[in-house]
Amino acid sequence: MVNPDLLESPETGLSETADLPWLVVVHNDPVNLMSYVAMVFRRIFGWTRERAEQHMMEVHTKGRSVVWSGAREQGELFVQQLHSHLLLATLERSTP
Amino acid sequence: MYFEFSKAGNPLFTKIHPLLAGMIQMIAVDPWERYPDGSSRLLPSPGEDEDLLLDWEDLVQPELRRHFTAERSVVAEDLSQLKQGRGKNPSWSLEIPREHTDAWLTTLNAHRLALVTECHLTEEELAEKIEPDFSNERAFALMQVNFFAFMQECLIRGMEE
Repeated sequence: MVNPDLLESPETGLSETADLPWLVVVHNDPVNLMSYVAMVFRRIFGWTRERAEQHMMEVHTKGRSVVWSGAREQGELFVQQLHSHLLLATLERSTP
Repeated sequence: MYFEFSKAGNPLFTKIHPLLAGMIQMIAVDPWERYPDGSSRLLPSPGEDEDLLLDWEDLVQPELRRHFTAERSVVAEDLSQLKQGRGKNPSWSLEIPREHTDAWLTTLNAHRLALVTECHLTEEELAEKIEPDFSNERAFALMQVNFFAFMQECLIRGMEE
């Protein structure tokens, strides 16, 4: 499920890339600490603590959270950064 | 074991029991050697797209592995500074240069993730409050996972202060 807040957010770049619907999804795992996941989100996406914790809780409670959407190339870089912090992240094409 | 900051402002663990000091030293070992099955968790799949999977295997995963090795080297160097006190009950202390905190978080995390995968520890087991237990390999693994989590929490809190 795509978070509508994310789609309207300026940093998603969707206004320029509406035809490039790729999503970066972070999946839950029971090992990564909640504080660590929130810290990684803040660092990679430059989010506020509140926003990072919202997405971390979404991962924890719903099993996944869409953390970014936009062009594929940029999405790959984000997935690589998330993997370098050992989070379970995938790049997925959004469905209409 | 206590967590504080040194006069230089670095994260500092003091009064580390010798057994725990031994556990900390284990993280200098290459997880790919130590956890032949569990290390698969360290390089997860990026998705289902075939082109992406090929790129990942050829380009990204080798780079990620080099990154983890470099972070572990930083940790190994810091571990050479693990100091043992004197007296009847000698404990250990470890000062971590502040700029090495990321390397420690990554390396501690890599060992926790690989250990959980290697030993097939369940979410229920991870959530349990357990007493230290050296009686079997599985219980010892769980103890290590929890101890490394404690160290991670201290370092994260330290970064935010």
